[in-house]
Amino acid sequence: MSEARPRRAASQWAVAWRRFKRNKSGLIGGAIVVFFILVALVGPYLVPYPARSYQSLYEGDAGDPPSFKHPFGVEVSGIDVFSEVVDSTKNDLYVGLAATLITTLIGVAIGALAGYFKGAVSDILLGVTQMFFVIPVLLLILLFARVFSVLVFKGLGLTLIVLILSFFGWSSIAFIVRGETLRLKEMEFVQAARSLGARPFRLLFRHIVPNILSPVIVIATLNIAGFILTEVVVSFLGFGDPNTSTWGLLLNEGFPYVRTTWWVALFPGLAVVFSVLGFNLMGDGLSDALNPRLRE
Amino acid sequence: MDEKLLEISNLRTYFFTEAGVVKALDGMSLEVYKGQAVGLVGESGSGKSVTAQSVLRIVPRPGRIVDGSVKFEGEELLTKKEDEMRKLRGRKMAIVFQDPTTSLNPLYTVEKQLTDILMLHKDLSKDDASKQALHLLDRVGIQDPERRLKTYPHELSGGMKQRIAIARALACDPVLLFADEPTTNLDVTIQAQVLELLKQLQRELNMTMVMITHDMGIIADMTERVTVLYAGKVMEVADTQTLFKSPKHPYTEALLKAVPSVKQTRALEVIPGNIPNLIEPPTGCVFHPRCKYAKDVCVKKEPELERVEEGHYAACHFWRELELEGRGG
Repeated sequence: MSEARPRRAASQWAVAWRRFKRNKSGLIGGAIVVFFILVALVGPYLVPYPARSYQSLYEGDAGDPPSFKHPFGVEVSGIDVFSEVVDSTKNDLYVGLAATLITTLIGVAIGALAGYFKGAVSDILLGVTQMFFVIPVLLLILLFARVFSVLVFKGLGLTLIVLILSFFGWSSIAFIVRGETLRLKEMEFVQAARSLGARPFRLLFRHIVPNILSPVIVIATLNIAGFILTEVVVSFLGFGDPNTSTWGLLLNEGFPYVRTTWWVALFPGLAVVFSVLGFNLMGDGLSDALNPRLRE
Repeated sequence: MDEKLLEISNLRTYFFTEAGVVKALDGMSLEVYKGQAVGLVGESGSGKSVTAQSVLRIVPRPGRIVDGSVKFEGEELLTKKEDEMRKLRGRKMAIVFQDPTTSLNPLYTVEKQLTDILMLHKDLSKDDASKQALHLLDRVGIQDPERRLKTYPHELSGGMKQRIAIARALACDPVLLFADEPTTNLDVTIQAQVLELLKQLQRELNMTMVMITHDMGIIADMTERVTVLYAGKVMEVADTQTLFKSPKHPYTEALLKAVPSVKQTRALEVIPGNIPNLIEPPTGCVFHPRCKYAKDVCVKKEPELERVEEGHYAACHFWRELELEGRGG
């Protein structure tokens, strides 16, 4: 019995990609994300004013509303908002992506180990995960940021924020991965692999982990949005790096004058809203593509 | 030829659950000679699959082998270290599982599933392993093997998937193969094909096979010797022909009566009741609650496996007295 029709790629990823392409909101989200990535990569070379520059003050434009010369207006201090929003894009994306990457690696490693092994190892890992899950992350981030602020002036800036976010943010992924590992451990193909002589680590990394990538990818995408938001909060409250342009910093600068120079807060705010929206829509699209539950 | 490949003695595998200790295997024995096709028959829950798991020592938690002996090629398996066992698994002994949809990893192509185990046990390069994989597919009767190598399990029919699973189990030429209900999940016509394939492979490779099933028809077709298992204990052991013609245990008789036949006109006789609670099994003979011949002694005293004649054993107090109905065919 041979099949003569041409073969479409049938791997899990090919199938998911085809499904993703059919999901309108997911595609919109993806487009928004791509847009922001382009802005982050190319934008800084195209902006009229360099980062954190007070040049407009000398040009007499300080405090001006949006105009052709300054599309997003000018801060009272002379900083051009458009240039700043564009420059901040790469920094905010950096925080979101880097923190997500690190927390995903830690979360998957700890979650898989906690789910696969029984006994002391698993219990300790689970306990540690629970501990990190329960502590009030934001407060500690603010505390750590303040304590380590001495390093900020030595130029560690955003990376420090990334490290702190990563240190506290891996527990939710670890829980999900642990749950999935527990479930997959009992699946018959794992038993089958075991019956054919596979060692525990081989079982874990060749059979179990590849099968949990789907939910992990979805959560990671949503986490990018989450980390961006957290960074915004940290910088808005004044605990971030005052020398690096981020949307949160701009909100911090614009907030006191929101009644007069409202553009200083509006445009960074819009940037945050759209970038987070983009990642969320994309995450939802990925979720539907990777875990379809409804009949098409 | 008269070499004992596998000898299980008094095996007890218990599952320590929160509800109590489930005695999945409670004193089970089995002898398999090299080159034989042996059947292990019983209802669901009789302990058939646990037997295979116990031999390979992959009994899932909370199960544990608590007593007994399992000798393979003369060596005691229960005292071996885990990495010694791992060398045997897939290499000397393998299992074909019931449901190929779940026993094959959905993420990997057929080629990868096969080359994976080939490269694990034999020191082959990826190319050599791929060539061998092709050869394996051919051997299990898959058409157009080059194309099939690149397909994923979900693209294949049930029968094909099971052939792949069989190819995977045979990849390293094991001497002992457990086929755990390999055709239960397949439809009948495919069932026949897969069984035919197993028969052919067993002959060609002179492989020793333990056919685990609840289907007496398969036993009749595929095996030369059979052990009847109930609630983790052996009820009867005999050559297949003998078992069918003159069973000596009421459970065996009941199993035979429950097999439909094209020729018969009477209604199927169902065995009343359910398999017992393995946490608190019945006293005496474990089959007594469902046995139509049960007497007082059956409730009080557990029957031993007694010799009926050479090679034929039954665990029943009344095997001498009872005139049980077999199936001539």
